[in-house]
Formats: sequence, C-alpha cells, structure tokens
Amino acid sequence: MHINSNLAKVAAVALSITYTGLAHAELNVFACEPEYAALTKELAPTANIYSATTAFQDPHQVQARPSLIAKMRQADLVVCAGADLEVGWLPMLQMKSANANVRSTDQGLFFAADQIETLDKLASVDRSMGDVHAQGNPHIHFDPTRLLKVATALSAKLTQLDPAGAAAYQTSLADFTTRWQTAMPRWEAQAKGLQGKKVIAYHSSFRYLFNWIGVEQVADLEPKPGLAPTSGHLASLLARAEQGDILAIVVASYQDERGAKWLGEKANLPVVVLPMSVGGNDSSQDLFGLYDSVISLLNGVK
Amino acid sequence: MTVLNTRVSLVALACALISPSLWAEDSSLTNPAISAVLNGYYQTGERPLAESPDGFGLGETELALSANIDDMFYGKVTAVVEMHDGDTELNLEEAFIQTMAMPAGFSIRGGRFLSDIGYLNNQHLHTDSFTDRPIAYRAFLGGHYFDDGVRLNYVAPTDLYWTMGVEAFKGESLRAADEHGEREFKNVGVYTLYSKVGGDIGDNSSWQAGLSYLRNENGQVTPHEAHETEDEHEAVEGHDHSHAASYTGQNTYGADFVYKWAPNGNYKYQNLSVSGEYFRVSDFTPTDLHPEDAPSKDYHQGWYLSSVYQFTPSWSAGVRYGEADTQELHDDHFHEQKLKESEVSLAWHSSHFSTVRFQYTHQNGTNFDGIEDDNIFTIQYIMSLGAHGAHQF
Repeated sequence: MHINSNLAKVAAVALSITYTGLAHAELNVFACEPEYAALTKELAPTANIYSATTAFQDPHQVQARPSLIAKMRQADLVVCAGADLEVGWLPMLQMKSANANVRSTDQGLFFAADQIETLDKLASVDRSMGDVHAQGNPHIHFDPTRLLKVATALSAKLTQLDPAGAAAYQTSLADFTTRWQTAMPRWEAQAKGLQGKKVIAYHSSFRYLFNWIGVEQVADLEPKPGLAPTSGHLASLLARAEQGDILAIVVASYQDERGAKWLGEKANLPVVVLPMSVGGNDSSQDLFGLYDSVISLLNGVK
Repeated sequence: MTVLNTRVSLVALACALISPSLWAEDSSLTNPAISAVLNGYYQTGERPLAESPDGFGLGETELALSANIDDMFYGKVTAVVEMHDGDTELNLEEAFIQTMAMPAGFSIRGGRFLSDIGYLNNQHLHTDSFTDRPIAYRAFLGGHYFDDGVRLNYVAPTDLYWTMGVEAFKGESLRAADEHGEREFKNVGVYTLYSKVGGDIGDNSSWQAGLSYLRNENGQVTPHEAHETEDEHEAVEGHDHSHAASYTGQNTYGADFVYKWAPNGNYKYQNLSVSGEYFRVSDFTPTDLHPEDAPSKDYHQGWYLSSVYQFTPSWSAGVRYGEADTQELHDDHFHEQKLKESEVSLAWHSSHFSTVRFQYTHQNGTNFDGIEDDNIFTIQYIMSLGAHGAHQF
C-alpha cells in the first residue's frame, strides 16, 4: 500500500513537472454555477472557463451527466458555491472524473462559501425542515462585500495553481476590485428606495441580496426549502398578501413561475423574475450587468 | 453470498446510526456519510426471477457508509438487509476501496462492488423507477451483478465523455448451475470489458451509450447426468435463493443507451428519461451435447426499453417493456422459453428523499415458469434518510 501510494505521488509530481515545464498554459476552469464562471473570467480573462449550469437550471438538482465528467476530467480548477449546494452531484463528478488535481481544497478545488461567513447557519438539521443546508445559505453571490472577499481568495488560488501568471492575476484582481468598489455605492444609492420594502419570494435564493439592500422577505412560496409550492400553502400566502404591505412576488430565473403568477393575480401583486445568475436575462452578461439588472427590475415595481 | 451474524452486525450498525455526532451532510475523517434506505411493498403476485415475493414484504433495506480514507483512497460499505422465507439475511452488496489520486484519468477499485457493465447495473436498486429490474437483468445478471474483484478504469481527456474499463471477478453468482457440486469451477470466473461515451445536445438534453462484454469461464451449462431423475432436479431448484443468474453462458454481449431531457436542462420541475439495453448470452451448451439435442437458438437474449417522465416535482410516470428469450436445459435437451413484460408505474415524491410507487405489470410467457397471462399490482415505498447521496446519470 505504502509503496503504491509513493509511486503514485512520484508519478503525480513527475507529471506536474512536465506540465510546468511547458510554456505558460492557460488554466482549465470548471465552474459549478455561471456566477463563478463570470467571476473567474474577471480574474483570469484568458483562462478556458466552463460553466456546468446556466441561470435557468436549479443548482440543487443537476445531473452528474457525462459532459460534466468529461469537463472535470480536464479541469485544473473547480470553482463552486459550496455549503452543500452541489452535494447531490459534485461528489459523483469527482469520483467519476478521476482527476486528483481537483479533489481537495488544498489543490484545485475552491468553495466560495469557505471564504466568508454564510447567513442562516443551523446548529442542527432535520429533514422535516426540508432540504436545508446546515452550513448556511449557499447563494452568496448577491452580497457584493462577500463576493469581493471570494474574489480575493479565488485570485490567490489561481496564483497558487499557476504561479507563472501571478502578476497578471494581481492586475486583474486590482482592476476588478476598483470597478466593484466604484459600483457598490452606485447600486446602494439606486436601491435606496427599496429599503424596508416587503416581498414574498421563492426559496431563500435572494437572501443575501435582500440582506444587503434592506428588503424583507416576509414569506416563501415554498412550504419547506426544496419543496414546490402547494395550493394550501399558496392560500395561506394569499391571506398574508391581503394585509396589503407586500411590494412584489420575486422568483429566480430557474424557478417555476406558476405559483407566483397565481398568487400575483389573486392578490393583485406584480411578479418579478430576477436573473439568478449571469446569463439569466439579456442584460446580465457579467456580474456588473447582473447586479444592475436585479436592482433595476426591483425598482421597476415600486 | 456473505451471511454475517445478523444480530450482532445489526446492533453494530444501529449504534453507528444512532450516534448523533455522525449525522452530517458532508463526509470527512470524523464524519463518514451514513445513509439508510427503507423499502417496503405489497404486491399481488411475484415476478419470475425477482427477489420480492407476493403479499407484504420488505425490499432491500440498505445501510451505507462511505468516506475518504486518506488522500489516496475512498471506501464504501453497503450492507443490505433482506428477508427470505422468514429469515433475515445481512448481505454485503458493496465493500470496496477506490484510488483517488492516480494520474492520467486512471482509477482502480477493489473489493466487492457493482460491475460497470450495462447502464443500470452500477446503480443501486433504490434509484430505479420500477419495483424490479427488467427481466433481462434478472435472467442474466441475477438482478444486479456485484462481486468480489478488481476494476481498472480510464477516463479520456476529451470533451466527448469517453470511459473504458476492465474488471475481473470471482464470478460465483454467475456460475452455471451445478446440482451435484461435482464441477470444478475456475476461481476467477468473470472478466468484463466496457466502454461508454456521452455528451450533451444543447442545453436541454444529455445522452450516454455503452458497449460491454462479459466473459464467464464458468458459464457453460453443466451436462445433464443420465441417472438424475426429474424429482431431484425440481428439489434442488426450489430453495435456491440468491442473486445468482439463472441463465449463463461463456460470452455475454451488451449494448445500452440513455437519453435525458429537461426544459432548459432544469431537472427540478419536469424531465424525461429514455433508456434501453440489449444482452445476448452465447456459448452455453455443454460440450458433449448430441447434435440432435442442440437448442433451436444457440443464444439467450433479452432487452428492455423504458421511459420515465417527471411532470411535476412530486409526480412521475413510467412505462417499460422487456423481453427475455431463453433456452432451458431439461433432461438432455433444451426447451425454448419466452417472457414479455409490459409495465406502467406512477410515483409520488413528497420530497427528494421519499417515493411512493404504484406499478402494474402484465406478463406474457411461453413455457416460462408456468406464466401465460399474468397481472401484478404493486404498491411500494422507498425512502432514504441520512446523508444525501449523489446520484449517477
């Protein structure tokens, strides 16, 4: 056993030496969600980046499909949200793709949620609570401060994997940080009028967005996390909506709009479909466009 | 088949399950992923070669434990509790280690594990959309083929998914019947080769197709012995519960495909899957068979085609049609048999972790265990608790 593992280590080292001996090759990056593909593109514009999902796919329920195994097999870096968001498919991809470089966060595996404090961590989890995440809400990419921390850590990871590109990664991070920090006060000013407003939303997908701009999600279209809206639950939401203090019903681009539309019609409330990620609508072509779009869509219903 | 000391082992597993510190979503050194699958049913009949008798019953109750052992190895144990004729048996379905750090897309798995031939075989029964495996699997692979052995697998560094592997197994459960225990079987009885390719078609669909070959050194039918009476023959067949294959041959060829579709590739609300497999088992006739006793076809074959549509997050419906076309040795000559199964199922999923299924099976047999025109209704629940296992495509 020992001899075997040593042999494998020697082989791995030999291989990595061969790789670094080559001319500066671009990293192959596998992103679990489009927001992390977009963030990686900001930080490593020349890398080959592949996003496993689109903004129209629920990242909780992704098939560990052949194309993803093939892409992960070739990846130097895997960037995911973490906090168990991908627990139903990422371990299977890691097992099937036989790529030792992306198995450990010491090497080419990066979880955004590991870099920050998540909201809504739970001390104990029971399935009767629905499909909840003990490690907190994983949809962190709508918090600009947290996302900037993630960007800094991701840039360090890129440098660790590709030391030859260190200077370029440093420049890209500085550039992104400047633009992001300029945009943040602008977004906050634009969202000022939304502060204190109440919404009904689907899942806790926009937990960080609402936390940041001061919107309160007073009810959830899901009766329990991960469960689709039921007619009984929608009826109870209608009773809540009739109190008259709700601004809008918010769903993400990958969520079924039927329950929201029914409630919207009955309660005479606007339904807003927000892009869950980059690519979720025409104006969300990068992270800046995504933030611009969600704020302007929410402002549109005031 | 390993039958452990049931009482002691169950207690040990129960203790492991109860220990609160072990409950965790993630597996790590101190937190192995632990899961249990509960499976019970009531049905009005029994499908031939299946493991679930009629009336009330428990299907496979699984207890699984897995974790990374160190940076080089991953390990998994799956114990299956089964009831047979009033006896509780604890069987090991999986107890394997797998390398995690081999270079260049290679990996080795050793121990007891599910063979990677075909599409369904490497999947656990509780993930199936029907109560029993298709008749082709029950006839040729004993439902699902797991065994003690070793596998070398390779994944190519291509954008089109391409994997291939070779396996060697003990092959005990695929040995030809040997009623008198006089036959000398080879210790390493089964070798397999397989290859799969797959990819996406746009954002909405994904596919995979595979070819497999299984060499069974012990698959040739044991010659009939002249002094044997029909009574003895029947007596031996009666109590033979196991995961053993009923029809064996030296060479088995398989082809499989699966296609999945979801609107925008979003599987949460609606999705469709279509899959099919074909198996052909040949070279089973005894060497000293008189030419006039030769079977009408010198191969067994079986196939199925199935489709499952999940139309809301809570409901899915499936249809499946399967056939097995086999030759059975009776005295000194072969009888041709045929079984056709048409099935529909409707399942309700209260969450991702619980399923209640209604299934109707119509069987049409020719010379097959006395089945001519049978109807079977099944109601079944399958629920999992503990760690959220990742599912295969």
